Amino acid sequence: MYQLAIRLLLVIVFIISPDIYSHDGINHSIKGKSKADDAAQCVEPTELMQKEHFVFLYHQRDKTVINGVRTKNHSFANCIDCHVSYDEVGEPIPINSEGQFCQTCHVQTAVNIDCFSCHASVPRGRKPEAHISLNYNHLEDQVSQEIEKLVSYVEGVK
Amino acid sequence: MSTDIKLTRRGFIVKSISVLSTVYFIPDLFAPAQAAKPLHEEVKSDTKWAMSIDVDKCASGCTACVDACVEENGLYGFDRPETDSQWIRKLTIKDIKTDKVKVVPMLCQHCENPPCCDVCPTGASFRRVDGIVMVNQHTCIGCRYCMMACPFKARSFVHENLTEQVTTAPRGKGCVESCNFCVNRIDHGIPTTACEEACMKEGHKAISFGDLSDPNSRVNKALKIKQNRRLRADLSLKQRVTYSNI
Repeated sequence: MYQLAIRLLLVIVFIISPDIYSHDGINHSIKGKSKADDAAQCVEPTELMQKEHFVFLYHQRDKTVINGVRTKNHSFANCIDCHVSYDEVGEPIPINSEGQFCQTCHVQTAVNIDCFSCHASVPRGRKPEAHISLNYNHLEDQVSQEIEKLVSYVEGVK
Repeated sequence: MSTDIKLTRRGFIVKSISVLSTVYFIPDLFAPAQAAKPLHEEVKSDTKWAMSIDVDKCASGCTACVDACVEENGLYGFDRPETDSQWIRKLTIKDIKTDKVKVVPMLCQHCENPPCCDVCPTGASFRRVDGIVMVNQHTCIGCRYCMMACPFKARSFVHENLTEQVTTAPRGKGCVESCNFCVNRIDHGIPTTACEEACMKEGHKAISFGDLSDPNSRVNKALKIKQNRRLRADLSLKQRVTYSNI
């Protein structure tokens, strides 16, 4: 009777174990620290993001490439900017490397991603926002000066 | 003595109103030079990006525009000049009759009738409504028909795996790529390309970029000063990149 009870218990544990090991509600143990660690929620509810993130990405990618829409919320560059982990030295760890944000789930679900054969897996290069604050009026001024010089030259010839 | 520096009720009100008006109203009097497109808005066809290049001002031996393009778009190569990507390159041309030598920056000419888009089997090669001809690398299959169709050899093919792409310019093996007028800058409201900025900084001012529908844009001013012409005008491709003194 005692042995039967133990067997029954083992069977029950075996059946419910997939729920225990699923990702829902359990924090990932990703090496390093990212900006997303401190955020209360992603751009959409977490459950929706886990299931549908690629739908948002596909939709945004066509809007961006063809129509020039550059909103932040579903932008791929912004995903990486927020979710990439930084090591102790402050260097970003590629988001598609082993044990990092993208790779942990995609290994488990056996879905291969080839985003990073073209897209940068860490924030790299100039940030577009950094340039907006800069003033480009000096370029206009240079051209205006040029025109004034030319006009005065033409008048001098006359 | 103390009565002189004491602030009266009247004085306080007058001074505070004048300070507040300075803070609130004066910045509104000076509008920004060029209004940026809001990030959420789609590009419109009433914007017409174009470039004018004054060949006489382009200095031989100077590669500022090429270097700026490489840095902006992360176009590092493998020291194989035959196959490495180049979105802008310097050509040396010689007039057969006069033996006069000139250097010309050559980049995607952003045609209004682009032959690359005509031949593309997947529609990856396309012309954005604001006139920028670019490659949608998500649908490019790397067949290179567009490279054969382009009369200016403006396009490059990526032959090898890349690892050091910059965030603003995704690019990878098996896709064709070319100059896109620094589309990421433009969409973020920066009205200049990397090559133009570099040429201005260098002091040559050979490249002028801007919006054709804006009468005060740099490209329109440049077009007014000197007569510009399109390369291979016999093909009637209506390029948006034009050259003067060539």
